[in-house]
Amino acid sequence: MYPTKYHKAASIDDAVAALGAGEEALVLAGGQTLLATMKQHLASPSDLVDIRAIDGMSGVSTDGDMLVIGAATTHAEVAGSADVQRLCPALAGLARGIGDPAVRHVGTIGGSIANNDPAADYPAGLLALGATVVTSKRQIGADDFFQGLFTTALDDDEVITSVRIPAASRAGYAKFRQPASLFALVGVFAAQGAGGTRVAVTGAGEDGVFRHVGLEAALGADWSAAAAGGVGVASEGLLADIHASAEYRANLIGVMAKRAVEAS
Amino acid sequence: MDMSGSYRIGAPRQAVWTALNDAEVLKLCIPGCEEIEQTSPTTMTARVVQKIGPVKARFNGAIELLNVNAPQSYTIKGEGQGGVAGFAKGAADVTLSEDGGETVLEFEARAQVGGKLARIGSRLIDAAAKKVARQFFDNFHDHLNGKDPPGD
Repeated sequence: MYPTKYHKAASIDDAVAALGAGEEALVLAGGQTLLATMKQHLASPSDLVDIRAIDGMSGVSTDGDMLVIGAATTHAEVAGSADVQRLCPALAGLARGIGDPAVRHVGTIGGSIANNDPAADYPAGLLALGATVVTSKRQIGADDFFQGLFTTALDDDEVITSVRIPAASRAGYAKFRQPASLFALVGVFAAQGAGGTRVAVTGAGEDGVFRHVGLEAALGADWSAAAAGGVGVASEGLLADIHASAEYRANLIGVMAKRAVEAS
Repeated sequence: MDMSGSYRIGAPRQAVWTALNDAEVLKLCIPGCEEIEQTSPTTMTARVVQKIGPVKARFNGAIELLNVNAPQSYTIKGEGQGGVAGFAKGAADVTLSEDGGETVLEFEARAQVGGKLARIGSRLIDAAAKKVARQFFDNFHDHLNGKDPPGD
């Protein structure tokens, strides 16, 4: 056993202060990755700063055509939100497909993107939709926020407060699940909106979520499953493990891109 | 798992070789290296922290230089115990060749993890190991070109 101090932050300032004061303090949101890791003694933070009780941290609201989702909003809340279903049904579908019911009712959008697991669903959705991550000190565009395998632009004492997602005119998400972990073996989120045509791939990149330039060009010219299917996807830089080779993942990117367009 | 790569470094081979044998340089360049101590011309002890997402493990281990053929090539081998997390070990064959006043560094590395780390992290170990190796050679390249890596 090892001692861990639990803080229930009352405000964002309170959370930031507790993160700065602890020797190795971590933010606790849904804990669906962090607590499982701690149980295995693969992480032993000195302090946990629970941000879920902070006012305004959870729930979905709108700002014109912009969805504003609090960092501590669970996947089930996003999936069930009438605003998300109306402005971005593909995102509601993505949230509905994360993990299992237990994960969806406790895991949070902020936790998912702060962890930036290379097979998590939300990073693909936020990157394709051109979302903005709002933190305790600044706003970070999705292109700058996700910085590779488990790496983000966040500082150690920085807390995500909300995510702002512009509505897309067309968007779809499709993933091929790894049946044991329920993570995406490959997931593709394709979107078209004010920010142009953006296609983000999760589960496949050696360095985490990435945008696929070839698919973006093809779908930008012709938003159709046939156009997506005509793009050759290279296996260079893709993950290979016991579940799938890099070539298999490359093929799946093409197949999931087609399905994402069909679902849009 | 295996990985390999090649880097061009804007420094003469002798300078690259000296740096590759300097514990202080290795400390700067090994990602997460907190401490390194030379125990003989070819052996060192080290403490390295590795962080892969939520997993954080501190390894106490030994580094050994084998097959030393100055200033052309060696094998650098490391092995560490990470407490409850398990163990990690790896080795890299490093070859330096001269090319018009610059040096081409080529490496072939093998890495292995065991214990709880391997069981929990099998989904990610390969990608993480590649990232660590890439960071080391990026840092080393930057160091010799006068840009030191960030402190962490």
